[in-house]
This record gives sequence, C-alpha cells and structure tokens, in this order.
Amino acid sequence: MGLNSLRQSAGCVLAVLLYLFSVSALAVDEPKPLKLTTTADHSKFKELQREFQSGPEVTKACLTCHTEAAGQIHRTKHWKWEHLNPDSGQTLGKKHILNNFCISIASNYSACTSCHIGYGWKDANFDFSVKENVDCLVCHDTTGIYKKPPGLAGNPVIKDMELPPGSGKIVKGIDITKVAQKVGKSSRDTCGACHFFGGGGDAVKHGDLDSSMAAPDRELDVHMDATGLDFTCATCHKTSSHDVAGSRYTPTAMDKGGAHIRGKEDNSNPATCVSCHGNGPHKKEERLNQHATKVACQTCHIPAFARGGVATKMNWDWSTAGERDAEGKQVVRKDDKGRVIYESRKGTFTLGENVKPEYFWFNGDVNYTLVTDKIEKSEGVIRINWLGGSPTDGKSLIWPVKVFRGSQPFDPINKTLVKPHTAGNDDTGYWKNLVWDKAVEAGMKDAGLPFSGQVDFVKTEMFWPITHMVAPKENALACVECHSKNGRLTGIQGVYIPGRDANKLIDTIGWGIALLALLGSLGHGLMLIAARRKHQGE
Amino acid sequence: MKSVKPIAAAVLLTLLGASFSASAYDADWKRGRIYYRSVCTSCHVAMPVGSINPSTKTMAEWSSYIQADKHAKGKDTVKQYVSKSYRASIKSANKAAEKFAEVPDQELLDDIKAFLIKGAKDGEAPASCS
Amino acid sequence: MGERVYIFKGFERFWHWSQAGLIMFMMLTGFEIHGTYSIFGFERAVNYHNIAAWSLVGLWVFAIFWHLTTGEWRHYIPSVEKVLVIARFYSSGIFRNEPHPFKPSQLNKHNPLQRLTYLGVLLFISPLIWITGWLYLFHGEWSAWGLSVLQLEWVAIGHTIGAFLMLAFFVSHIYLVTTGHTPTSQIKAMITGWDET
Repeated sequence: MGLNSLRQSAGCVLAVLLYLFSVSALAVDEPKPLKLTTTADHSKFKELQREFQSGPEVTKACLTCHTEAAGQIHRTKHWKWEHLNPDSGQTLGKKHILNNFCISIASNYSACTSCHIGYGWKDANFDFSVKENVDCLVCHDTTGIYKKPPGLAGNPVIKDMELPPGSGKIVKGIDITKVAQKVGKSSRDTCGACHFFGGGGDAVKHGDLDSSMAAPDRELDVHMDATGLDFTCATCHKTSSHDVAGSRYTPTAMDKGGAHIRGKEDNSNPATCVSCHGNGPHKKEERLNQHATKVACQTCHIPAFARGGVATKMNWDWSTAGERDAEGKQVVRKDDKGRVIYESRKGTFTLGENVKPEYFWFNGDVNYTLVTDKIEKSEGVIRINWLGGSPTDGKSLIWPVKVFRGSQPFDPINKTLVKPHTAGNDDTGYWKNLVWDKAVEAGMKDAGLPFSGQVDFVKTEMFWPITHMVAPKENALACVECHSKNGRLTGIQGVYIPGRDANKLIDTIGWGIALLALLGSLGHGLMLIAARRKHQGE
Repeated sequence: MKSVKPIAAAVLLTLLGASFSASAYDADWKRGRIYYRSVCTSCHVAMPVGSINPSTKTMAEWSSYIQADKHAKGKDTVKQYVSKSYRASIKSANKAAEKFAEVPDQELLDDIKAFLIKGAKDGEAPASCS
Repeated sequence: MGERVYIFKGFERFWHWSQAGLIMFMMLTGFEIHGTYSIFGFERAVNYHNIAAWSLVGLWVFAIFWHLTTGEWRHYIPSVEKVLVIARFYSSGIFRNEPHPFKPSQLNKHNPLQRLTYLGVLLFISPLIWITGWLYLFHGEWSAWGLSVLQLEWVAIGHTIGAFLMLAFFVSHIYLVTTGHTPTSQIKAMITGWDET
C-alpha cells in the first residue's frame, strides 16, 4: 500500500510536471509573427463585438476610437475624386475627367463608385461631408473577402442578393463582422482591389498594375517580391494623415532631392525611386548615374509591362460596339487564349502582354482634354491627356509610357467629347440597349452638359507613365536596347545616343578619306610592283 | 496497473493543451497563398497533373483533401510537402521554402488550408494558382 | 646586305607595338560603338574601348617621360627642308628604283615627311581624340566642370573625325611600311630595332 501510494503520488507529480512542461514548451514554441506587427487585436474591442449589418455601421464603430479618421479621408483625392492642378488650373479627378476606357463616371455612379472609398455615391447628389459614408474596410481589410461589386454605389453585399437585379445571378453576402474585427494595415490586396482592376477589369488600365502584383515573385517586382522584400504599396506611397503620396495628376518626373533621411525635412514625393535610392544609386558604374540625368530609372528598370501573365488592354475601339447576333443578343468574342477581344456593349479590344513601353520626354506636367474643350476630328488623334516635356527644359527625363489608343464617341456638332450613360439597368444605359444617342443624351444631361443629338467617333489616346513592375537589376535593359539603330529610343529627339546617332556628312567624308587612303595605297602599290618587275626584267 | 492512470492523464492533458493551442492559431491565408503558389504550383506546373487552381474544388473538397492527407492518390502525404524537412530540402532553390523555413508544420498547413478554403469554388474569394 | 643601324630602342619598340595594338582595338570597338557593325555587342565594346583607352593613357605617361628624359622628342621636330625631295621620291623616284633619299640614323630616325606626318598625328589627331575622348568619358561631370554649354553631339562628332583621320593614317602607314627595301624590312626594323639599308 505504502509503496503503491508512493508510486501513485510520484505518478501524479510526474503528470503535473509533464503538463507544466508541455504547456511552457508550447508557450515558448508559439511565436505569432503576424500579431507582432500591431499592438491592437481589433477582435478584442467591444465596439466591434457585435453583428454589423452595413458598411456605415462599421465606420461609426471605427470612428468611436479613430475620431479624426473620417475628417482626414474627406480631404483626400481617394474620397473627393477631384484634384485641382495648381499649374494648369484644370479641375481633374475621376469626378470630372473622361478617359478612353469606360469613359466617364457621370450617370454611371453606382457602377464606378464600387471603387470609391465610401458608401452610397449613387448619383451626382452624393453628400461628401457624411462621416459614416467613409469606407474604412476597403483599405484595412485583411481577410481578402471584402468586396464591393459594381452597381451598389460602393456598398458591399451583406446578405445574399440577386445582382444585377433580374439577372438570376446570386452574389453571396460577406461576413462584414469578421472583416471589421480583423482590420489591419493596408496591403497589396486592399489597394489592388481597385487599382489592379482599373478600367473595368484585371490589368485593363495601367499595364503595370494587375492581380499578379498581389503576391508577385522577384522577376515581376523586385520590391514587392512576396518571398523577398515584400513591399506593400504604402512602403513607397508613404501615407500620412490618410493622404496617400504619389499622384498621376501631378507626378514627379525628375527628383533631384536625393534619398529621404530621418531628421531632414523632406516635403518631396516619397514614392519616387530617388527618395530611397538617392541620385547616384549605381555604385560600380558611374556612367549609369550619368544616364540618370537624362533617363528615368523606370526606363531601364522596367523592360516591359504586363509581365505577370495578365494581359492589359492596348486599344479599345468603341466604334465597333453594338453588334447583335441572329437572335438579337449581344455578342462576345474571345481570342485563342480565351481573352475577350470583342463585346457588343464595349467594342473591339487589342490586348498585350510583356509590352515594350513607348518613350517620351516627361517633366511631370499632365494636361487633359476635358469634356468642355472643343475638338476637331480633322486634327486626327485627340490626346485625352498629354505629357509635358522636352529635352531642353531641364525638368524632363525620358520616361516609359503605356500609350492607350482607341476610338470613342463625340458630339460632331458641339465638337466635344461626350460622357455616355453606359452602366445601368434602365432604358438608356448603352450596355443594356446598345443605342448611342440615348445613352449620350442621358450621360450629358447628368453631367449638365449640352448635347446636339448626334454621335460620331474620334480617335483618342491616353498616356500612362509606367512606374511599377520594377525588374531585378539583372533584367534591366541592356545598353544595346537603346544604343542601336531602330532601338527603343528611335523617336527621342534632343539627345545624342552613340550607336543610334551619327552625323551623316561626317561619316560620308570620313569613310571617303579612309577609302581614298586605301585606294591611294593600292594604286601606289600596284604601280610600285609593276615598276619593280620592269626593273628586274631589265 | 494503477500507476499507468496518472501517466495517461498527463498524456491526455498534454494533448489537450496542444490541441487548444492549435485551435487558437489564427491562420494566415496570405502566407498560405505564397506557399501554395511558390511551392505547390511551381512543382505542379512541371508535373503531368498541371497546376491546380484553388477554385477548381469546393470548400468541402479541400477540407476533406487536407483531412485525408493523401498526395498523388495516396502514394505519399500532403503534410510531407509542408513539413520543415521538405522545406529544408528545397530551400536552396525555393525562396518561399527558405522564407518560411522555421514556421511550425501545423501552422503552415493551416495557412494553406485557409487560402484554399477562401479561394475554393464556393469560397469567399475564388482564386487561381498564379 | 648593307650596313645595319640600330634605330629603334627597346622601349620605343614596345611602345610602338602596344600602341599599335591598342589603337587597332580601339578602332574596332570604337566603330562598333559608333553603330557601324556589331561584334562584341554595344556594352562590351564600350567597356573594352574604355579599358584600352586607360591602358593607352598609362602607356603615354611612360612614353612622354621616356621622350623627355632621353631627348627622343627631338625626332619629331619638323624640318621643312627636303620634304619636297621625299615627296618627289614617293611620287616618282620610287617607281624608277631610285635609292631612298633619306638614310635613317640614331640621331635622325625619321625622314622629313615622317616627321611632319607623325607631328601631325601628335599635334592634331591625338589631341582631338584625347580631348573629345576624355570629355566623352566624363560626360556626367560637365556641369560640375562648368562645361554645360557643351553638347555630347559635338564631342562625339569631334571624336569621330579623329577616328576617321586615325583610320586614314593607319591605312597609309601600313602601306608605306611595305615600301621599304623589302616589303617586310621596315617591320623587321621595328621588331628588332635594326634597320638594314
């Protein structure tokens, strides 16, 4: 018995020890690296421990602690979709400009504003001062399930619903409570939710931003490499007070300011290459730093765009839209890779992967042809935006650009581009009815602009400087890509490029002199041989 | 005979503790995405099977696949390809395996599962493999 | 065989041949950089051209030192006297098998036409190539050196003109070398140092 009880108690002690050991071992073994990136686990906040039924409800909860956040957002381009260019005086931003993709948001708000960082912008009367209309989740979601489908004016689907109404397609509701409880820093996925899909689909608009950038490898983007440096968008687009740095409306084409360092006041754009790498980043080859006084970093370090396996649109011809098949239905045609190249509601597309950019002198000035500007079809291609720059202004570098070309509706009587009503389950929306004049009339009316009733098509182009998809240095452009006849910089004026350029006159005279020397020598030599033979013969 | 009981209790407690800590792990679908694409897909692309999109199976199918733990129709296990030793064996040529070399096996498996469930055909965000 | 005269000293021969090699290589790579043809590829052609240029700089440092300290620079003092005689020889006398009017010696190794030509190369072609070449090489420093008004195109054109003149000199030089006592006698002289006349 004594022995038994001893064994029993020993067993108990052993059990307890084992348990304690295992627990402490587990505690030591359990680092949570992801949790270490933040001091707050939002699921533990009682403000968020409830069921949410709508986006604005979540925002109200966020604002109970982050009291100033909505006010910060209200000042940004992300919220206003409006930007006053201080240099040109033009009022820009998605709210005002038009493009040659889906053209314009006027009268199409419910579809377009699925990418607005707010809730409920369904028409021109949206109230931009309402705090709870700010959408915190679209930027701070970490679950990857938060989605704002087109047609709901920026609202997510909370309960399963038919979308578009009458289509028979059911969109499943998301667990917005889970999304709210798991908020965190913005990520490639959150920014990408809109910016990868600009122009109405994956990779359509930018060419250097598409879904392949959510978790890219090193070859695709040396900075965002998911198994390497793993930059998020905000690593470069350094944000303060919710105002994201870096803008397509007023970009920085040439940054002479050097790398940003702590303690130094740096008001310049933090999203440039120079803001980290400085003005002389090539340590071994000073000659490459010399190049950087004329050539943007991007020109050599982004050898091609759309490299991630997703094709970008290069051309969009609206003038061919409107086809119907024998049954009167809309038509969709795909190429041999299964990519859409024609849609009745949109027209004809040309797609491109691994596209070599075009190159232009660019000084950071971007001007737009606005809907109120007069255009002449006879002038040929209308530039919806164009890049300022010249080899001699001291502010320009040679930049890689995606030039997006197309053909789009305009008003031949009033001589303006037009804003058609495309998206919309009504009797004027072009995508449903395929009738241009009704669609343009509705769109222009919504925008408060005159329309003559006639629609014609005009060729347009837009210029999109390329700056993402930076390749690893070993994949940067080889010298010969530009230093050769018919190289990449063939059309670039105002710079002498050895290998491409030569003075024709000098070359002609030079080769002439060399040839004369050769002919003279040959002639002299022949005469000499002849003379010596003659002499020997004598 | 009696002495076995406390030891059994200890083992049970240990297991409980272990399972508790495992269930407390908050799976990181993004890490699962990287591993799935960089390790699983990169190999499958070269194999006769070809790449497998998460969206080709339903959530239930992925759950039971991971539960069954049968890779290549049962020739080997799925876990084996997530294990630390497998990662160590390929890490010189695979940056994802190198980056996640020290992640506990179960965590990484949970991460991958989270990505597959989320990206499944009926998941919250159907995903492709690349 | 006639008398043998020791004309070209060891360093001089080394200088001549290494310079000849470098200049030929630089013409080869230079005209590739100019876009005339593709052999090494642009990038390697540039790198080789630069390495050769710096080598030539090094060689010249020694050569200038040698010429100054030994007084050999005097061989490049032009003498107008007898230039016409030499010119007449090459344009007619040589075809009548007349003897060369000039006998090289240790004190006077170049005939007046050579003196003039080499001086031209030294005073015109070389400085043109050197100056434009250095500017080309230090393109990035122009503004720091206060040379912002310069255009790369002018510099490149100057460099190209120099290259063409050097090419013309090279062709004529190669030919004239073969017009000696025998076609190879002058080459032998530049190899062994001994001139046989």
